[in-house]
Amino acid sequence: MAGIFIFSEDRALAAQLLTPALELKAALGEPLTVLALDAAQATELSTLGADKVLVVGDSATWIEGLGEPLAALVAHASVVLVGGTLRGKHLAADVAARLKTGMTTDAKAVRIAGGKLVATRILYAGLAVCDEELPLPAVVTIRARTFLAPTTTTAAAPIEQAVAKADARVTVESVTPTSTAGVDITAASRLIAVGRGFRAKDDLKLAEDLGKVLGAELACTRGIAEDEHWLPIERYIGISGQTVKPELYLAVGLSGQVQHMVGCRESKTIVAINNDERSPIFEAADYGIVGDLYEVLPLLTAALRK
Amino acid sequence: MPNCLVCYKWTLDEQDIKIKSEDLSLDSSRAKGKISDFDRNAIEEAALLVEKLGGAVAALSYGTAAVKQSLKDVLSRGPEKSYWVADASAEQADATVTATVLAAAIRKIGPFDLILLGEGSSDLFNQQTAPRLAALLGLPCLSFVNKLEVEGDVVKATRKLDDSVEVVTVKTPVVISVLSEINKPRIPSLKQVLSAAKKPNQELTVADLGLTPEDLAPKAVRKSVKGFVMQRKNIIFKETAAAANVAKLKESLASLGLS
Ligand SMILES: Cc1cc2nc3c(=O)[nH]c(=O)nc-3n(C[C@H](O)[C@H](O)[C@H](O)COP(=O)(O)OP(=O)(O)OC[C@H]3O[C@@H](n4cnc5c(N)ncnc54)[C@H](O)[C@@H]3O)c2cc1C
Ligand SMILES: Nc1ncnc2c1ncn2[C@@H]1O[C@H](COP(=O)(O)O)[C@@H](O)[C@H]1O
Repeated sequence: MAGIFIFSEDRALAAQLLTPALELKAALGEPLTVLALDAAQATELSTLGADKVLVVGDSATWIEGLGEPLAALVAHASVVLVGGTLRGKHLAADVAARLKTGMTTDAKAVRIAGGKLVATRILYAGLAVCDEELPLPAVVTIRARTFLAPTTTTAAAPIEQAVAKADARVTVESVTPTSTAGVDITAASRLIAVGRGFRAKDDLKLAEDLGKVLGAELACTRGIAEDEHWLPIERYIGISGQTVKPELYLAVGLSGQVQHMVGCRESKTIVAINNDERSPIFEAADYGIVGDLYEVLPLLTAALRK
Repeated sequence: MPNCLVCYKWTLDEQDIKIKSEDLSLDSSRAKGKISDFDRNAIEEAALLVEKLGGAVAALSYGTAAVKQSLKDVLSRGPEKSYWVADASAEQADATVTATVLAAAIRKIGPFDLILLGEGSSDLFNQQTAPRLAALLGLPCLSFVNKLEVEGDVVKATRKLDDSVEVVTVKTPVVISVLSEINKPRIPSLKQVLSAAKKPNQELTVADLGLTPEDLAPKAVRKSVKGFVMQRKNIIFKETAAAANVAKLKESLASLGLS
């Protein structure tokens, strides 16, 4: 069963994986198989260019435990693309180990050159970029929104059932969805990102007020979410947080360390407000004000309101 | 009383790495070594478990000759003994090689009830080593753990995932990767630093471990490493009067249609 396989338990991401998968299919001239978790996902993905859909997950409760059966299904694959959620990355690494293949984590781009897979990725949390060259077969994870889902639909590919039993040694006691405040900040076109320059939670009001005038959502650095708990976890940007590409990224009282910037550096325009002229955020900014945020933010809000 | 092993990586401190403007190559000549950030959490968690339950903690690292510099640091953080594999292959190693070396070492020095790793290494951040190691050793793996409880041979872990929090249980032996929020790593006291020098460490050579050149050749080969530079306008307003700066920023935003 040579070919290209894709898998993601995240519906939207699975559809996005089809875009690079179709390019690989064209380059390698091999069939493309979608591994779907259930019948609904299978139907949804069957018309986006795949040659075949296999439903693997009906009996499975723990995605991470599917390594062994999935490795058997893709035993003769050339390329396996897995959606880079945390569950997906765990599963992909397990499959790669069983297949004794190389794997690129969170590729930004993939192509075939000289019979190998070349995947672009970051190193040192974003300080550097490199191409990783892998012999086939190769496993690659790709994060959400790296690619857009295909827009053209095709005739529905045949859907088949495959049996997959998850690792029974692990018992799932509970799964609690993280409560999101209903805002998907990755979809916002304008963001105001706050950092440790804010001295108290109440002071975030200054950023909120500006946000109202600008039509921007609040985002933050890891410390603000993970340590201070001033904003929900899903609002922090960076290597271990969200990746965003808004029209405007207004960074206030944040230093601009690489682990943060890697999540926002593809923003169209970056503006910084920071009282330390030597702060690295200014190198990453299109426009900046050197000044105390407690003075600048109210003035800016008032000026823009006019 | 769990017998624990922590796998940690000795990496370059990325804050000391400079990007050369001529060719965007990386200059690591002034970069100091450090224990990879999240591995300090793995070490701390093992130390906390053993302080509470008894048992033992050993540490294991695979690196270039520089890995020897890590011994004192790691031993001052709790482990009683450290094992190290120093081989030039570590410079180019990918997760396939790293997991193969660690698995071979564990087969020799193990077995262990709990094998702890970090979520990802601070240089490669492959997030692959824990699941790969578990697959090679035939053990279950619990990844992205931010809370860990051990009672007898039952491990209960809270995993923090993209959109949910999951509680899972498993019997030892098990491989676990931890998130940084699981604990706050201690700053070793002078006494701990001094006692570290007296703790045993043992070198394992790749020959001892029966590893072949093929085992040590990476599958994922890193090419054309280039520093990432942002092309930004860098127009910075820094007059003493904040109002003047604000007025200029307003103008700039307006010119972009962003006001
Ligand atoms: C492995 C790893 C992963 C990480 N992942 C992430 C991640 O995903 N996301 C993330 O954000 N971070 C991450 N970090 C942390 C990251 O390295 C930085 O420590 C963090 O982003 C810094 O947060 P900050 O900018 O809020 O705080 P600081 O670095 O403390 O910066 C505060 C800034 O505010 C300025 N300031 C202070 N007072 C004022 C004032 N009155 N007016 C204006 N400016 C003021 C200061 O000049 C300073 O520049 C990670 C770190 C590691 C090691
Ligand atoms: N060379 C190494 N020696 C020992 N442990 C390692 C090594 N490389 C990675 N690890 C462990 O594997 C984890 C994940 O690394 P990675 O898969 O590279 O992101 C790290 O946090 C370490 O705990």
